[in-house]
Amino acid sequence: MVRPRGTDGSLLASLPWTLLALAVSLVPHIQFLPFWITGAFVICAGWRYVMEKRRRPLPSTWFRALLALICFLGVLATYSSVSGVGPGSALLAIMAALKLLETRKRRDQFVLLFISIFLVMSSLLREQYLWSLPYLLGSVVLIMTAWLRMSAAKHETAGRSFRTGTRLVLYAVPLALAMWIFFPRIATPFWSVPIDTSQATSGLSDTMSPGDISSLSLSDEVAFRVAFDDTIPEPRQRYWRGLVLTRFNGRTWSGTDPIVGARAHEQVVVSGDPIGYEITLEATRQQWVFALDMPWTWDLSRTFMGPQQQLARAQPIDQRVAYKATSYPEYRTDVELSSFARDYYLRMQEGSNPRSLALARSMRATVGSEAAFIEAVLMKFHEEEYFYTLEPPPLGSDPVDRFMFETRQGFCEHYASAFAVMMRAAGIPSRVVLGYQGGEVNPLGGHMIVRQSDAHAWTEVWLDGVGWRRVDPTAAVAPDRIEIARSGSMFGGAGAAWGLSAPSALLHQLTLTWDAMNAKWNDWVLGYGPEKQDRFMEWLGMDDPDWRKMMLTLVALVVGLILLISVLLSLRYRPPTRDRAAVLYERFVKKAGVEPHTGETPAVFAVRAETESQIPAEAIQAVTTTYLDARYGPGGLAAMQRLESAVAAVHRQ
Amino acid sequence: MSSIPWPFPSLGIKASLSAAASRRVLRWARKRQGIDPSVTQLRPGRVYILPTGVGLVFGLMAFAMLLGSMNYNNNLSFVLTFILAGIGFVSMHQCQRNLVGLELSFAGVEPVFAGQSAQFRVAITNHAKNPRHRIRLYTDTTISEIHDLLPGESKVFVLAVATEKRGRIPLERFGIRTLFPFELFRSWAWLHMSLSGLVYPHPADHAPQPPPTQIAHGHRQHDARGEEDFAGLRKFHEGDSPRHVAWKAYARSGQLLSKQFAGADTSSQWFDFNEVEADNTEARLSILTSWIINADRTREDYGLRIPGAEFPPSHGASHRRRCLETLALYGLDKRNG
Repeated sequence: MVRPRGTDGSLLASLPWTLLALAVSLVPHIQFLPFWITGAFVICAGWRYVMEKRRRPLPSTWFRALLALICFLGVLATYSSVSGVGPGSALLAIMAALKLLETRKRRDQFVLLFISIFLVMSSLLREQYLWSLPYLLGSVVLIMTAWLRMSAAKHETAGRSFRTGTRLVLYAVPLALAMWIFFPRIATPFWSVPIDTSQATSGLSDTMSPGDISSLSLSDEVAFRVAFDDTIPEPRQRYWRGLVLTRFNGRTWSGTDPIVGARAHEQVVVSGDPIGYEITLEATRQQWVFALDMPWTWDLSRTFMGPQQQLARAQPIDQRVAYKATSYPEYRTDVELSSFARDYYLRMQEGSNPRSLALARSMRATVGSEAAFIEAVLMKFHEEEYFYTLEPPPLGSDPVDRFMFETRQGFCEHYASAFAVMMRAAGIPSRVVLGYQGGEVNPLGGHMIVRQSDAHAWTEVWLDGVGWRRVDPTAAVAPDRIEIARSGSMFGGAGAAWGLSAPSALLHQLTLTWDAMNAKWNDWVLGYGPEKQDRFMEWLGMDDPDWRKMMLTLVALVVGLILLISVLLSLRYRPPTRDRAAVLYERFVKKAGVEPHTGETPAVFAVRAETESQIPAEAIQAVTTTYLDARYGPGGLAAMQRLESAVAAVHRQ
Repeated sequence: MSSIPWPFPSLGIKASLSAAASRRVLRWARKRQGIDPSVTQLRPGRVYILPTGVGLVFGLMAFAMLLGSMNYNNNLSFVLTFILAGIGFVSMHQCQRNLVGLELSFAGVEPVFAGQSAQFRVAITNHAKNPRHRIRLYTDTTISEIHDLLPGESKVFVLAVATEKRGRIPLERFGIRTLFPFELFRSWAWLHMSLSGLVYPHPADHAPQPPPTQIAHGHRQHDARGEEDFAGLRKFHEGDSPRHVAWKAYARSGQLLSKQFAGADTSSQWFDFNEVEADNTEARLSILTSWIINADRTREDYGLRIPGAEFPPSHGASHRRRCLETLALYGLDKRNG
């Protein structure tokens, strides 16, 4: 059967709202979608609207099928997969665009609005910001208004539909809140589907090639936030261990894939006091999990310690995660090193960076011990003309040699790389650790913010009888970078350069406030998991909370709220209240204590009341005349007020 | 008229099975509610509600979203899921409240000829201070227009019931229903006002010529007589047309008098059931119907003679109605008539 293709303008009132709902639910996806999908949607939406307006027929089935095939292949080509939020939202957007071209009836519009809801859902899976909640509420109101517009009467204005939609969504909010609080959270997912594999990773890269990139991006983006249990470690202890690079090919440092290290944790011997804290790590789409050097315990699921004491999770961090951890600033690790491992950490590309190797070997020959050699190299960085800069010149081939002898400018990566190379040249096993160093304490939230601009590279050297020891050559060049807790250096720097120190301080304050709000939001809304829920239930007075009790409470609350809403609704639909004048007059009759006869007029009643009741005749006359005026006369509001005062006067007696 | 589904979403059950279930439920509702007066206000207890197909899909979607939220432990998608679930609950109550308290009153049905549809008119009044949206009446074969009712507003809804045979057409049951607000739920009420309409026989398409006309010279007196010649006054009798009262004379004397006219020549014809040439009763009734309609159209007097009843020649709407009603109910069981 061939479906009729004509449009008759019957959707003209509801179509703009459906389009608006779709557009709003698509907005958060636009930055992730390939340009052509957004373009296809906009074109289809506009085209469809024009078709409805001019009563044009819809495109033919063949045309639509061809278009659908092209778009599907396009999505496949772009994403090379159809699972996950990225390709999923792309497919939803395409479906919405194509469905528009065959939307003739309300049934089709239902499909469009369902797509719209799924688009909102998938945007929430991808990102959960502070403004995601108002966005979600707003888009639900819009979608429900569009829903109402589909069947609204011709005379029903869009404003009325919007108010009705808003009212119904508002009724649903307390229900949703009750369900949200009491719905039992579970810890482990049923199945694991990557949220979005199409997005670029953020944060640290897996390799380090000093000199290839000639400037370091100082992104102010938050890498993670830390809430310490009690003591906040000193700035010089704030080394957030990430990944470890062990192989150097003369130009690039690289690590091994994160594999479960045999006995890596057993190699660590800790002493002193532990530091307990909770990290809220932003999505990196990498496997690395950051913790204060040296991590001892952590409660992130499916996370293990690699052979170089780096933490990694089995699946990428594709959503913000929170985990508790403890670390010991004082530790020893790998006190014994097998000869195989020793060779591994000494391996270098022969022939590259010859001058640095020669320098290292000659320096090693002049000092007595390995410790003294390390000291000598650090002194060299400290005392000779080496500069810390975020924009060093590019280095080309033999980057270590060029850096050591020619440019002498660089940031942490240059120093860490050069230092590790010199150690290896002198026969000391070494490796490079990538992570973050520092962190700013937000006085408003009490937590520490570690930003992408705090990314850092340092080295570890292996000493006989000591094990791996952290050495940060950058500290020798720019001790400030390590020792001083950063406090708005970004803003201070930029602001000072523009001569805007005061506003920039204010700006910094605002940034900190916004950050504190975000931290609370992450903590209480996004991080409301099984443990927080249990704690909250206990705080509410629930003994030994379990899912049964929570479900029971949920059901009881939902039923109670529904009854309340039902009462509210029945109040909305009750007949209008009686005439105010009649109510007042009835009050007067009651006070008079005289039973009015059927059909008795107020005037006749007044005559009878004067003799039969205790109320003075003037008062009765006053009530009677004002009543007649207020109820039947043209007196309006003023007459009603006179009646009120007259009845009040009767009551005072 | 296409068949209108009863307010059960067809859940893929066999048609006969769901029809049997439907009959049982209808019998139960009829027994539970009894016969409704012709003015009935809807109490909450008799407004039923079930999810629609869209509502089921909506529920499935919310469930899928709940699973997704649980899997990703995503608290914002939990919010979205629960808001949608809340909207579901709210729309259920809103949908039911949209009907509760409405007042339905039967506003009559005009007789029709068999084959036409009988227009049962039902006035619905909204006594509430809020509007009612998207209300419609329905039976199992027909459905009315959708209307909104503003606060205090009363509107007439028409149920056009198709007719096939002459006689009384009963409307034992009709329903009122709404899908407002989101079409996730359909709430409805059944009303049993035991209404019935009258269906005249279908006028014969090719009726033979009616019997010849007789010219009468006004020897009969009735309202329908001509008013050509004034013939004098006589004492007023009950039944005389007010138009013929001599009001001026009344003003003078205080005595009610009727004007008498000398009847004009009127033609009249007798339609006799037994003299119609046709095979069966229905065909005869059809032919008689056709004659009456034609005679009425040309404003001729006609009389009807049918076993059990005789209407002397006359014309006018009430005469026509009486005659056609007799034809409609001829030979039918008194119980139906």
